[in-house]
Amino acid sequence: MEFRDFSLLVKDTKVSEFAEGLERGVILATKCEKCGSIYYPPRHDCPKCFSDEMSWIELHGSGKLLSFTVIFVPPEHFAPDLSETAPFSGYRYAPKPVGIVEMGNGARVMGWIPGIPREELQIGMSLTPKAEVLPNGRATIVLAPEGE
Amino acid sequence: MRKVGIVGIGQSRFGIRSDASLRELSFEAAKASLDDAGIPLDDVQAMVVSVASDELSYALQPSAQVVDYLGFNPKPSFRVEGACASGSMAVRTGWMTVASGLADLVIVVGAEKMTEVSTAAVTDVLGRAGDFMWEYPFGMTFPGYYALIARAHMAKYGTTEEQLSMVAVKNHHYGALNPYAHMRKEISLDKAMSSFTVADPLKLYDCCLISDGAAAIVLASDKLAGSLSKKPVWISGLGLGTDTISLSDRRDITTLDATVEAARQAYDMAGIGPKDIDVAVVHDCFTIAEIAAYEDLGFCAKGEGGKLIEEKRTYIGGDIPVNVDGGLKSKGHPIGATGVAMAAEIAKQLRGEADPGRQVENARIGLSHNVGGNGQHAAVHVFQVD
Repeated sequence: MEFRDFSLLVKDTKVSEFAEGLERGVILATKCEKCGSIYYPPRHDCPKCFSDEMSWIELHGSGKLLSFTVIFVPPEHFAPDLSETAPFSGYRYAPKPVGIVEMGNGARVMGWIPGIPREELQIGMSLTPKAEVLPNGRATIVLAPEGE
Repeated sequence: MRKVGIVGIGQSRFGIRSDASLRELSFEAAKASLDDAGIPLDDVQAMVVSVASDELSYALQPSAQVVDYLGFNPKPSFRVEGACASGSMAVRTGWMTVASGLADLVIVVGAEKMTEVSTAAVTDVLGRAGDFMWEYPFGMTFPGYYALIARAHMAKYGTTEEQLSMVAVKNHHYGALNPYAHMRKEISLDKAMSSFTVADPLKLYDCCLISDGAAAIVLASDKLAGSLSKKPVWISGLGLGTDTISLSDRRDITTLDATVEAARQAYDMAGIGPKDIDVAVVHDCFTIAEIAAYEDLGFCAKGEGGKLIEEKRTYIGGDIPVNVDGGLKSKGHPIGATGVAMAAEIAKQLRGEADPGRQVENARIGLSHNVGGNGQHAAVHVFQVD
């Protein structure tokens, strides 16, 4: 499948465990030990109470599709003629839907939607965020149809 | 704090300006604004420069190029930045410099050279104004972000692709009348609707232009403004709002809360409401952005922006003429220049000096709305003449 690397930048942060989680097949969020706020994308620091005592939680289940698009004019690093050498690369870009789902705990997750044709996508439909390891060993997030 | 008035306005022609460098474009605009004010640069005490991107020019401190080329050394100058809202940040900073009493006469120069790198590279750099860490890795671009906003707006409020295209038709109609505009041509609804898809549902004509250009304004303290200009344009309200770096984290993807907040501040400060605005320029980087701006600025109820353009109520003669300079869509969007050009356009309208066919008659109160990124920053300014 044709996805982009997700974990390259995250590995050099205080939330690098997120990238390791994706490689293990789980999507991780953080929870503030002090005020209980849940953060996805994960934050190492809580802006609500300024605490840095966070714990990791796994995101499970499905969410509702908030919006989606298919990008036909890609950024330079995703363009076909650069994709072999660019830093985020490894795979040739082909337009695939991308969307945002809202989980039951309020977390919003962006991901590729490779398994559903654009014309079958509907805002409000249920999709399940899944970690996916690409053939080149890099990981990304996919929003999969329910039951898959 | 003191009242601050615009006493000079100037702009370079926007477009693919492979005939001029960043500093030469800045000179065109600065010279025009000083000629308009009727003063030499020697009289100006400070310069605020807005250039949004180092990445497009591969040079740090672009303000130094501008200051040197204008012969302003060794007087004070600095640069401000807020992506596509950089120009309004500079206007705000210029206002602060004069209002605080630090200087009586300030020039604000905004400029950008965007066409020296490929469209793919511009797409990349602008896309990374969004959350480069958590959203850009999904191939997110600026059109991509606004496509997500558009799709959600269409689902929630029934806004149609035709209504989006109607914004482009209007802005091209007025841009054709603006000698400084990048793309001076009318387009038909058919042409807009049949252009290729950039990021579904946004098509080519839903997207603004990638332009080179510069704009400048001269700001003066109240006493000086009265003696320099027959009709100073007072900046009577300023608002600046911010929002999440990730689009995914927004309270409501169909609303730019930064705009709502900036508008509230600006209206409060000026002591007016949206109904009092005679003419507005809003940030139409994409057609959906103009429709959302109608709503978020209070020109109509939330969700009714599509209807507002469909009923032509934002044309001259309608309730509230919007982007009658062509907007970012047709006038062009050299990102660092845009906010300054917006202030210059409103000043021109309030002075009654806009080009034939696009002057709003007897306009007394104007508004500019300038967005940075996909809503991380928004600046709203209110302008008035006595």
